[in-house]
Amino acid sequence: MVKIEYLTPATPKERKQYYKEEWNIKQVPDFVTHSIQEREFGFDHVGRGPNDRYKVFKTPDLLKRFLKVRTPFAAYCSVAFYDKPRRRDGWNKAELVFDVDAKDIPIRTCNCEGVCEICLNEAREIVCGIIDTLKGDLGLSNIHVIYSGRGYHVRVLDNDVMGVDSDVRSQIVKYLVGADAPENEYSLDFEKVSYEHFVIPFGYPKVFTERVKYSILHLNDKTELEDVNKKLLKDVLKYRELIKTNEWGLFKNKIGPQRYKKVVNGIASLNMSLVDAKVSIDLKRILRLPSSLHSMVSMKCTEVKNIETFDPFKEAVPKFVYERNK
Amino acid sequence: MVSVAFINPLSDEGKSLVRELGAFEGVRSDNNELIHIVTESRSQEISDDAFIPRSYLDLAVKRIEWYAKKKNDRKFDNNQYEFLFNPEIYKFDLIAYFLLCQAVGVKSGPNSRESRVLVESQGKIIEYRLGKLVKSERNEIVNNILNSLLSSSTHKWTFFEDLISSKKLKLQDMILDKGEIILDRDDFLDRFSSKIKGRKPEKMYEALIGDRVKELVMIKMVMQNTEDYIQKVSEKSDREIEPNPILLELADKISEVLVSSVQSYGFGGGSRGGSIKASALNPKAFPPCVKKVMEGMKSGGRNDAIIMFLTPFVSYARLYPSVFSENITKQISDIDPALSVVQNEVLPLIFGAAERCTPPLFEDQPQDKVNLNAKLGFGMHENVELKYEGETTWYTPMSCEKIKLHLPSLCKPDEHCKKIGNPLSYYNRMVWIIRKESKKSASNEKASKNEE
Repeated sequence: MVKIEYLTPATPKERKQYYKEEWNIKQVPDFVTHSIQEREFGFDHVGRGPNDRYKVFKTPDLLKRFLKVRTPFAAYCSVAFYDKPRRRDGWNKAELVFDVDAKDIPIRTCNCEGVCEICLNEAREIVCGIIDTLKGDLGLSNIHVIYSGRGYHVRVLDNDVMGVDSDVRSQIVKYLVGADAPENEYSLDFEKVSYEHFVIPFGYPKVFTERVKYSILHLNDKTELEDVNKKLLKDVLKYRELIKTNEWGLFKNKIGPQRYKKVVNGIASLNMSLVDAKVSIDLKRILRLPSSLHSMVSMKCTEVKNIETFDPFKEAVPKFVYERNK
Repeated sequence: MVSVAFINPLSDEGKSLVRELGAFEGVRSDNNELIHIVTESRSQEISDDAFIPRSYLDLAVKRIEWYAKKKNDRKFDNNQYEFLFNPEIYKFDLIAYFLLCQAVGVKSGPNSRESRVLVESQGKIIEYRLGKLVKSERNEIVNNILNSLLSSSTHKWTFFEDLISSKKLKLQDMILDKGEIILDRDDFLDRFSSKIKGRKPEKMYEALIGDRVKELVMIKMVMQNTEDYIQKVSEKSDREIEPNPILLELADKISEVLVSSVQSYGFGGGSRGGSIKASALNPKAFPPCVKKVMEGMKSGGRNDAIIMFLTPFVSYARLYPSVFSENITKQISDIDPALSVVQNEVLPLIFGAAERCTPPLFEDQPQDKVNLNAKLGFGMHENVELKYEGETTWYTPMSCEKIKLHLPSLCKPDEHCKKIGNPLSYYNRMVWIIRKESKKSASNEKASKNEE
């Protein structure tokens, strides 16, 4: 496995080597090549952002020639499908996407400056949770996961959701990340009943429970949670073993019901940063082209076949990086 | 049982009744049957003739007036409007409803405040009407209407896309499983009984879904259908030459009701104490999110915080704080013709915050000054100049919800935040509170001096 310190920016020579010797048009997923004529492409040739935009390719072969000749610093394609992609005109639909960037995860156990093996693995765990909810609750199935170089893109191409607007997308994000603590008191005809989220084994309360569990198990004594003081945080860390075994009721008792409420509310507001919501609600976003090179970190933007076992340091490192160490 | 049309005017029953009754003749004339139903309604206040609608047109206006006053008038007396909840009025109410939709569709359009108020009022009227029924009748009519609105027993959540998009329904409030929204009791028990431990599944169904969610879905669907109908009327009227003058007259009356409620009660913007005038900024009244950006941001969120968030906030707070209650699109020069306030007050404040970022925003990314000018409506140019105005739109301030999405780290709400949905409303409210408190302390001071 390659060490992260070797993942320094790629030189122009290395980029050339990558696109000429290692990259292959067949590595671009079908979900991109099959709709190539409807998508906008963008390129960053010098490392200052994707300034070369509004590009279109009629066939995968033309894209292949472009990449082999220009060997860009970074390549992107739109999540949107247009009638006239050259003008970004005639928007028809857009993939539903979720961007989990390892460096922006709100609770990281590594405390590293950029990204490292630990936070990349935590990003992977978050992605697994998101995919479970997309399938189990929202009934979506055409889901692709891309390792972006510093995290993951989840790209959904079910026709049911590709036409939905930004407002619906923002509600989906909130649902997936557990952005609000669910109600816990319900009125019946003659009484009020109380169901904490953790006793409801389905729907949004279950999603919320899973996200809270993940966060509590990843907290450390430096984590800042809104309205949670040091003493409370210390108690959460002290009793969190109970959560591992799903003894939520006991955990709540140990913490105290009012203080428990503060903890889950604090985590809920933090959860909004699990994914970059701006990306999800943007109907015309361009995302890194799967198979292209992330030159800043010298890693391949790769479609992930099995997220449960994926290891970017084995599967997304271009050959030239191994040659650096010889 | 009450008529289905009394709850859902766009039902088949409602539509066929309208076809039977609907004609524009006589909608302005006194109708004795209507007056009789109104005056005989239980608990109806009849001490003043003004409380009694005498024609279809009057009744339509009363529907809107009820909602506007109920929402904003502290002295509101529901007894003046009891007739709206008397099931016997359903035929008249139906015509009034269709007149309102057509008037708003023809004159104000689907994206107007009039349209929003009409749709909201319809939702509230249904809620109140259902509240007056006995439980068995209430459940029966809700199930009836829901069955006619939903063609099958299970529904993909995407079927409710419009309701979710317009935030009438929150995805989190629904029980979702494998892409379907669960409403039916047996369906719920089939799917989840075996998973529920230590609780009665039947009771959990009643609490989490039951009549409450069914009613919610039904009401929101009727509201959405009302919105869609207004849209259809509006599209149709664009193709027609001359709308009926009665509809135009009614549309004007609706606008009058709303304007008078703005003047009297501060309707619509969450503001208090009448209209809000543009005046020098009071940083003490800034919400926590704005204060945070004013202190300077770290790289990462800098760009969005200064350009997308702070620029619209500061410019509207200084120049057009009542944008949401007035709901009229303006350009900066409409308020600041020489752009002197923009140059001397608004831009320096934004540049100051940009300067305090680490690293300073414009030092690092000078091209962003152009983006800032674009958000003020002055196109993609280096300087703010009148000749460029209108090339881009003057962005309105982000709502709290948008901030949570775009800049989640900024949102650290205080106790005042609970009452508002936009930082600008927070600012207006705080300016009002600060002004009120300073007046109070000034008069206390005066009183104590007089005593001396």
